[in-house]
Amino acid sequence: MSGPKTTDRAIGADADRSDAGLSTPRLLAILFREEWRLHTQLFGGWRFALFPFVIALLTVSATVALVETGTAPGTVVGGLHVLTVGFGLYSGTAGFAGSDMLENVFGRLSLLLSSSTTLPLSRRRLLGAFLLKDGLFYAIAFVLPMSLGGLAVDGLSTPPLSIGLFWLSLSLVFAVGMATTVALIAVRTRGVPSWVIGLGIGLAVIGGWATGRLGPVRSVLVPIDGPPAAAGGLAVGTLAVAAGSLAVYDPTYGRPSRTASDRFARISDALPLADAPLVTKSLLDLARSSGGVWKPFVSASILLALVAALVGVVDSITGVAPAPGVFFGGVLGLSAFTTYNWLTQFDSLEAYLTYPISIADVFRAKRIAFVLVGAPAVAVPYLAAVVWFDATLVDAVVGAVLLAGYALYYYGLTVYIAGFDPNEFLFDAVRFATFTVGVAVPLVPTLVAGFVVVPPSATLAVALALGGIVVGLVGLVLSSRAGPRWDARYRTE
Amino acid sequence: MGVIRVAGLRKTYGTVNSVDGMAFDVDRGEVYGFLGPNGAGKTTTIRVLTGQIEPDAGDVSVLGTDPVADPIETRRQVGILPEQESPPSFLTPREYLAFVGKVRGLDPDRVAERTDAWAERLGFESKLDTLHTDLSRGQQQKVMIAQAFVHEPDVVFIDEPLANLDPLVQEQVKRFLVSYAADDNAVFVSTHNIDVAEEICTRVGIVADGQLVAERSLADDPTDESLLDLFLDRVEGEDARDTPALEQLQT
Repeated sequence: MSGPKTTDRAIGADADRSDAGLSTPRLLAILFREEWRLHTQLFGGWRFALFPFVIALLTVSATVALVETGTAPGTVVGGLHVLTVGFGLYSGTAGFAGSDMLENVFGRLSLLLSSSTTLPLSRRRLLGAFLLKDGLFYAIAFVLPMSLGGLAVDGLSTPPLSIGLFWLSLSLVFAVGMATTVALIAVRTRGVPSWVIGLGIGLAVIGGWATGRLGPVRSVLVPIDGPPAAAGGLAVGTLAVAAGSLAVYDPTYGRPSRTASDRFARISDALPLADAPLVTKSLLDLARSSGGVWKPFVSASILLALVAALVGVVDSITGVAPAPGVFFGGVLGLSAFTTYNWLTQFDSLEAYLTYPISIADVFRAKRIAFVLVGAPAVAVPYLAAVVWFDATLVDAVVGAVLLAGYALYYYGLTVYIAGFDPNEFLFDAVRFATFTVGVAVPLVPTLVAGFVVVPPSATLAVALALGGIVVGLVGLVLSSRAGPRWDARYRTE
Repeated sequence: MGVIRVAGLRKTYGTVNSVDGMAFDVDRGEVYGFLGPNGAGKTTTIRVLTGQIEPDAGDVSVLGTDPVADPIETRRQVGILPEQESPPSFLTPREYLAFVGKVRGLDPDRVAERTDAWAERLGFESKLDTLHTDLSRGQQQKVMIAQAFVHEPDVVFIDEPLANLDPLVQEQVKRFLVSYAADDNAVFVSTHNIDVAEEICTRVGIVADGQLVAERSLADDPTDESLLDLFLDRVEGEDARDTPALEQLQT
């Protein structure tokens, strides 16, 4: 029999040769099956299976709206590539269960990733297969519907576009995003401090901008617009970076135990709030986890950079620039989602149910923490945007009101729909669609107004400011109702 | 009168009857062992008794409070050591116990004293300023034990008290639980470990398929039948003693 022989060989071999008994295609098939099972079991089969259709629908709707309002098809194609790179950057972290957030999200859930410690599989090989599976899975489940949606619109086909080419182009930049993240994490496991990595990225971006080399980068990151050789080079480079990262990655990397002085009492006593202990815990969890208290700021800055780049592209092609205050105020409010996401990564609602506090107390504390963290995190990028794009005073003030109101609204919407698990948006079609529609209702008219009336007239400014206040109040109501809503759900599960 | 009273308790998850007509009382001075296999309904019962979830039917009371109608008051009066591992927290044990003290409305100085006492008792003095997430599972369990007792509750619910603890600390914890109950409190222990139940419990309830299938007083009611035999009889029937031959598994 071959079975026992395989086992004997595996036990006797070293870690990297021991998994020779399991072929890579077989390993990938198992990983795919587990990925599908995980999503369908967690969110309900149809709610997850519907997700690609929702993405296609949203892409078609957004593309039609943009093209009909005068946006050049090339800009839409570029925007879709930018979005896909961002998604790839995010997805690249999924295989690394070592970081604080991912240990919470995946560490105790994923039997697959932890199985390398009990099965004759090397951690490096399993990780490589896991990331390859993720790349293929998301290329089909997420990127393919995006490409279908984009091509469903007449006029998009500048050169001879086909669904397949467009999909390949988007998939390639998705892989670029993943490989970049994997490379950064791999370097981190070799002891390079996070701040050095951050500084390196910052200097590279500033250097590229100062020397005017960001333009060529843009053309490389939209492979379908460039020559095939460039796309081929990008593909080879991505593969090389991915393979090199796996080689550099140290599976045994572990951070030494960290100690901290007692800050809880000082912060908790300084906050004049009934929920001060809960708020303080959230703040300390955020500040002491990987990336520190800067995480929400970085998330908001990335959003700013993406949107600013898009505005620049639109301006250069169409000559139309929006009112910066109104435009950035509306869009940057979306960072509420990422800020809340960071604030819920390091605890669970169930854990609070052992204390004499209600779920409503927990949500109220999270809202206070959100305001304390989110306000400065988004204010700085907003101020940078209005100064950089030379907003008028009225525009800047209205934008600030919109930013505050919309951020509170997006926060309330997120908490009401997703409770303590905002990440579930990414896999639950119904929740994702509800959230998207909820966001679009105030944001789309605001953005249209921001493009049409530049700078905003006095009447429009008052109307938008009032709208921002009303929307903010709606957000407040939604977040207030989230506590009782989720309390009932948890207690009657 | 029992400090924990349960009658006709039912709880279903979808089509699964997790708890199906549970009934028992626990008095002061008792270490009550809740013994059963995985999925028997032990954790669900504790979650109902501590107001974390609502039952479908039945009457429950803990220290005269109603965990269904007023879960906050119940949780204020009891201590809870949950089964599931705590999520990664970036507080240190010292800060975490201060946090628990704050949400329980305790005097900070008193909490600081008890923190030092518990750290000494369970041997985590040197870890008091280490981030909770960087502690070993055993050390985390010690901190969680301390939080369950930091407010000196009259009733404590403990799910698998000795998980991840080394033998020395296990002995200390077992002795402490016995002495704590003897001091006119009640300790409700859910466990799979029959030896532990036999060693520390004054009374044991055996649970299977959501029902209490047997109860035995261990304090003053010795019988010829061991607790293990009783457990196997009531949980799986006589066949359970004829454990599947290991030879059958050697394929």
